[in-house]
Amino acid sequence: MKEHYGFFFESERCIKCWSCEIACKQWHGIRAQSVKLRRVVEIVSGKFPDVKRQFFSISCRHCSKAPCIAACPVKAISQRDDGIVVVDREKCIGCRACLDSCPFGAPQFDEDGTMQICDMCLDRLENGQGPICVDSCPTKALHWGTLNKLSEIAARRAVQKAALATQRR
Amino acid sequence: MAEKLGSEATAHRVVSTFCHGCGSLKPRCGILCHVEDGRFTRVEGNPEACNNWGYGCTSLCAKGQTGPQYLYSSGRLLYPMKRTGEKGEGKFQRITWDEAISTIADKLKEYKAKYGPESLGILSPEFWPVLNTLGRRFLNVYGSPNYLHSAICATPRMAATRVTIGFNSMGPDDWLKTKLIVNWGANCENSGVNSGQPNTMLDALENGARLIDIRPMLDPLGARADLWLPVRPGTDCALALAFLHIIINEQMYDKEFVNNWCYGFDKLAEHVQQYTPEWASKVTGITVERIREAARMIGTIKPCFIKMGNGVGDQTNDGTATISAICLISAITGNLDVPGGFYAGPPSPYPPMVRLKPISTLPEMAPPDMVDKLVAPESPIWYQKTGSWESGPTSAYYKAFMSVLTGKPYPLRAIGAMCTNPLSATRNPRRVAEALRKLEFFFVMDIFHAPHVDYADIVLPACTSYEQSCQIGINNAREGTWIGIYNKIAEPMGESRSDWEFYLDLAVKMGYGKYFWDGDIEACLKEQLEPTGITLEELRNSPRGIFIRRPEPVPEPVFEYRKYDKLFRNLPHGKVQCYNEFIGGKVTCDGMGTLPYLPVYKGPPEGIAETPDLAKEYPLILSDVHAHRLSHHSYMHNVPYLRELQPYPWVKINPATARKYGIKDGDWVKVESPHGWCKFKAEYFEGVSPEVLMTKRGWWQACEELNLPGYSVFDGGSEVNNLYNTDETLFDGFHSQMAKQTLVKISRIEEE
Repeated sequence: MKEHYGFFFESERCIKCWSCEIACKQWHGIRAQSVKLRRVVEIVSGKFPDVKRQFFSISCRHCSKAPCIAACPVKAISQRDDGIVVVDREKCIGCRACLDSCPFGAPQFDEDGTMQICDMCLDRLENGQGPICVDSCPTKALHWGTLNKLSEIAARRAVQKAALATQRR
Repeated sequence: MAEKLGSEATAHRVVSTFCHGCGSLKPRCGILCHVEDGRFTRVEGNPEACNNWGYGCTSLCAKGQTGPQYLYSSGRLLYPMKRTGEKGEGKFQRITWDEAISTIADKLKEYKAKYGPESLGILSPEFWPVLNTLGRRFLNVYGSPNYLHSAICATPRMAATRVTIGFNSMGPDDWLKTKLIVNWGANCENSGVNSGQPNTMLDALENGARLIDIRPMLDPLGARADLWLPVRPGTDCALALAFLHIIINEQMYDKEFVNNWCYGFDKLAEHVQQYTPEWASKVTGITVERIREAARMIGTIKPCFIKMGNGVGDQTNDGTATISAICLISAITGNLDVPGGFYAGPPSPYPPMVRLKPISTLPEMAPPDMVDKLVAPESPIWYQKTGSWESGPTSAYYKAFMSVLTGKPYPLRAIGAMCTNPLSATRNPRRVAEALRKLEFFFVMDIFHAPHVDYADIVLPACTSYEQSCQIGINNAREGTWIGIYNKIAEPMGESRSDWEFYLDLAVKMGYGKYFWDGDIEACLKEQLEPTGITLEELRNSPRGIFIRRPEPVPEPVFEYRKYDKLFRNLPHGKVQCYNEFIGGKVTCDGMGTLPYLPVYKGPPEGIAETPDLAKEYPLILSDVHAHRLSHHSYMHNVPYLRELQPYPWVKINPATARKYGIKDGDWVKVESPHGWCKFKAEYFEGVSPEVLMTKRGWWQACEELNLPGYSVFDGGSEVNNLYNTDETLFDGFHSQMAKQTLVKISRIEEE
């Protein structure tokens, strides 16, 4: 079995610039006020002046055990051996069971009613490039790669943060 | 339905050029444009172009991602036109380019003979290569000093820095050496998303640097700060003076540096005694504890880099005092030209591998007494004669318009607006429109039909960056140097043309052809390329521009620190001006007053602490962000991908304040200052003080694709510049900065 690909997002490096969201749309020719295969969201908490802002860039996470696959009654969703979750829109009946099953609200629907999700820019992967959202991020908040590579980045970041916390204690 | 565009079978080419996101013809980020069946469909960053963090980087900002939509967006000007109706009415008749250029040339020749060459002024959009090269060259040959510079720009900040500490800094030598960053009125997550700054600052924070963010709104980088100081808009000078008070009184200054390199420290120390933290708290709205905590961090964490932005130096009417005070904080804490501090050196320690031949502005052609004839000197004439300018002398944009109304010292007779919309680029669109009505001759070249176009006698359609090939640019990084040219992605729409070609054609028509390559843009480009050994054909035919790799191993950069003898040599006594004898006692830019020796708090013309009586009727402070990452100044609201993210003119309001006035999230509100009123949609936001409202300027553009309207720049519309005080006697005496803060009252209105 091939190694699975995934995304890794660092909220601390995101400045809510929306480049990833628009990059996805322009690269895939999705018009405005339509589906968002990747979207930037924010959570504001606290009261002035002690306010916290957290930013998130969300798309299909291409889960290892994707609940949408199990939820789909017509088997329109499948997982490639590289981990990328894909949908066959010809088979999709638009029942939205996948949306109910997804903890991230990733499945998107426009007028034709069939489901769409991020395909990690398969066209770019074939060219040896990364997904357009990751390649477009101006602050290196968004990463893409094999799960092993991403775990290494996550571990390195955790060590860095722990060291910083100790230094400041 | 999301369409997959193109396939290998269709005609698909990839063309290298520069992005349009930071404005027309500004060669910054190199991009690769996918053209499928003749149509620009997709865009990506050019990995060779050394964008953002350097070689291999493919990132772009949100605006950059909209290249194809921008090229085909609605509202383009397509043909040259002359006005047939009243000024402002918007009635025009299509004419030929030849008639348009001939009309402008005839008028300029007539005015030069009748009123003198200084009767012509050219408006400057933000740092724009066409104007500060060819435009300035044209002004010099014609003989006019009146390059009308906006004063909302880095230059007032740079001038105040220069006269205080002798030099400007592009940043620390290495951000990873900095232990404390003070982000003061700087807005790089809006104005330079892909410039390298946000990424570098985040790297510094990850590396352990602390961050103090001083801005009225909690912006994304501010959200990462150890300490956020939500200063009342326009009161930064009070905060800076209180920092000096605390740092000096608590003995946190670098005594050796002060003894050796500061002039008049004792006078400064005495002067700032009046600016106690208790006083500053009442003025700035920040608690005494937070002011002290910040001052102590700045006084003790070294090295510290204070990043000053437009918000603090260029958009308050005491910008010069504010910047001087902040520079003095850096100086007396020993942070000038030290590792990780306020470093004097080039932005990159790696020299470019090739350089272009600069386009001379032909200063030798200008009349020798030209500076004395400035219609509204942006900075004092005595200062302009020190040669400290961008590309030559400047008049202040707003004040120059007022000369048309007052006739003082003489009225401008002709004004050219290229790539700038004066009804949003400066304050008080109502007064500017009055001046435009009275102005004898107004010519405009623009990509879009902006509101000022309706006042033009001659209108010229400009093409976008994607429809011309008239400019070369260079990016430099550790790995090497990249040289690129604008390539045509599409043929110009209608009869639109490049601004470069306009200047060449006008020059030829004026009889200046021999100074303008006889109107041949190719000759102009070839001349610039001379030192590189690269031909124009090679550059245009290179699929990704030309990258010249730096030979390995790349030597570690060598930095020189504490170059004080050299840095301070042009300052009086060769020292930092704690007591400023460079400007103190000298005449102001308007010739009506005298500049102070010490930084004095003036404050905004309308403020809670400054004008308490007015605050009874207008209890809230209003300001705007000036630059925003989803628009380019007042433009790009017609681009669907950008407009869907901010469909309506917004005003950020603290929920507690909103509820007090019965305003729900998303309600339309009337915002009224003593000078005018606007309507905005209220957006609840905890990251703004309950006494402050923050908005964004420039909403004149409609988005046809999303069926969203544009809004008037006058009363009842949504142009925030309509709300500010424009009493010229209150402008900054050294560099003409205008206030961007006022008091307002707010109420809910019914709106569809």
